[in-house]
Amino acid sequence: LSATDPMHLSEAELRAMTSDLDAIHHDVALPALKTSLAEWAEDIHAQAAAGAGGDSARAVQLGRRRFLTGAGAVAGAVGGAAVLAACSSSSSSSAAAGSSSSAAASGTATAMATSGGEGQSLSGDLRVVGMAASLENSGIATYMAGIAAATAGKLGTVPPAVVTFAKTAMSQHQDHQKAWNAVLISAGKKPVTSTDPVIQPTINTAFAKVTNVTGLAKLALMVEDIAGETYQNGLSVIKSSAGIKTAASIQPVEFQHAAILNFVLGKYPVPNAFTGVSSARMPSDYQT
Amino acid sequence: VEFDETALSGLIEESQDTHADALRAAREPLRDMVDLGRQARSSRGLDPDENRTFASENRQRLARTAKRAGGLLAATGVVAAIADFIGGPAFAASGTDVQVLQTASSIEVLAVSTYKTALGLPYIGGSAANPVIKTFATTTMAQHSDHLAAFQAATTALGGTKQDKPDPAFVPVVAKAVASITKASPSAGALMVVGLAMELENIAAETYVNNMSLLSDANAKKVTASIMGVEAQHVAILNAVQALLKAGAGADITLPPPVAKLPAAAGSVGFPNAFYPTSSAAPASQGATS
Repeated sequence: LSATDPMHLSEAELRAMTSDLDAIHHDVALPALKTSLAEWAEDIHAQAAAGAGGDSARAVQLGRRRFLTGAGAVAGAVGGAAVLAACSSSSSSSAAAGSSSSAAASGTATAMATSGGEGQSLSGDLRVVGMAASLENSGIATYMAGIAAATAGKLGTVPPAVVTFAKTAMSQHQDHQKAWNAVLISAGKKPVTSTDPVIQPTINTAFAKVTNVTGLAKLALMVEDIAGETYQNGLSVIKSSAGIKTAASIQPVEFQHAAILNFVLGKYPVPNAFTGVSSARMPSDYQT
Repeated sequence: VEFDETALSGLIEESQDTHADALRAAREPLRDMVDLGRQARSSRGLDPDENRTFASENRQRLARTAKRAGGLLAATGVVAAIADFIGGPAFAASGTDVQVLQTASSIEVLAVSTYKTALGLPYIGGSAANPVIKTFATTTMAQHSDHLAAFQAATTALGGTKQDKPDPAFVPVVAKAVASITKASPSAGALMVVGLAMELENIAAETYVNNMSLLSDANAKKVTASIMGVEAQHVAILNAVQALLKAGAGADITLPPPVAKLPAAAGSVGFPNAFYPTSSAAPASQGATS
């Protein structure tokens, strides 16, 4: 590394490191997630059968089958690979990405659809899942709009590391959204492709005032904190053990995004010894 | 066994000025656990059959983990001893949630002592140390102390004995790493410290993520959930610091960092996983008291 060429060596090393970590993620983390999602689908069907006085064993079998076929249905809806594969990479389009394409084009978050997946009856764990999917859609929309604004030169000079952060965080939110929607599909519900109806207006208002990278980072930090706290609260609400595994695997990632954003903003990156739930979206607030 | 009010009170008083809102997330479930623990103790005590099943499951998990792990566990020679311990009668004498919380405490004990040792090194805690790294080590050690107090309070609330000893599986590995660090140059030593801290933080985060589906008590879950994201945040920052140190850009570890001059890949090095893994999680009962 030299003072005159500070980028070259570190870029190569960082890419190698990221590649190694990606390999671990694909080899270890994703198979575990797939298992949890399939188990959760089984739990939901068993709970439904038990509630209706039906055959819970048959419901479990049906749940797994519907999870697998439902995964394919989601993949069709998002126009790409099967959702389980899609959970490992979100470089392609997604339902949320599709519904927010006009937002990206205009550089605002105001054009997000508000009807995808809403209006259906969700209860219990599925209500948490529906709200989580809509929250992820808001996260995706925020980053997508930010990237579009940056590309259009509306945010001034945007450092390459910030672009990488935004694209990677958005990709991970897409992965989360696909995981939540895979559970909905397996339960015979529609995937939620609309944004969170409660916080999206707040995001839209804030985004309209964003003129630089700092403003965008502050907005993204708000969204990440809400997401992390919402999943933390959800862990107390979700009944299925497999569902808890899924939510528990996502909550820390949202807080990691928040830590990096705090760091970039010049704030202490891990400000609290305990994360709270005061900004969490409550499942009871999610109208279906 | 009485609920450790002192530990909880100290924790609350120490932290209320800096993060009152967040602390409520841990304080409220801990208070709820007092009554729950008393009820459990007065009504039925701990179920030995349930505990034996839990111990058996964790023995199997330990074997899988040891086979898979390329990090700390694989480097130890104590896996067999731990497996024997888990299968023993002393282990099966405590409740499953209590064992999980004791293991969490044992990890926090080790984390606190490791950061304390690191801060004794001149290039981490001395006057010439990078101020961001020094502040991070100091603050993180304090946060782990808070976590330890919370897990210990939760343990006693459920009728268990608080664990104040480090996780036995990781102690020899940390001791070996510290011995190497003290012989290293400041630049090499700093990287080794960050690497060791990152591995411990990741074990903590993965263990708590894994514990979420093992715990049955609602308030024990709340306490754990309020801590696991913080450990993951430590990992994210350590990932970024390690990348900069490896790239010879230690001077860029500032608050805020010089974002404009950082390479593009620096933007994602802190959070490589869309879903937090659990493959390095400590077996949930590994640090239970005997």
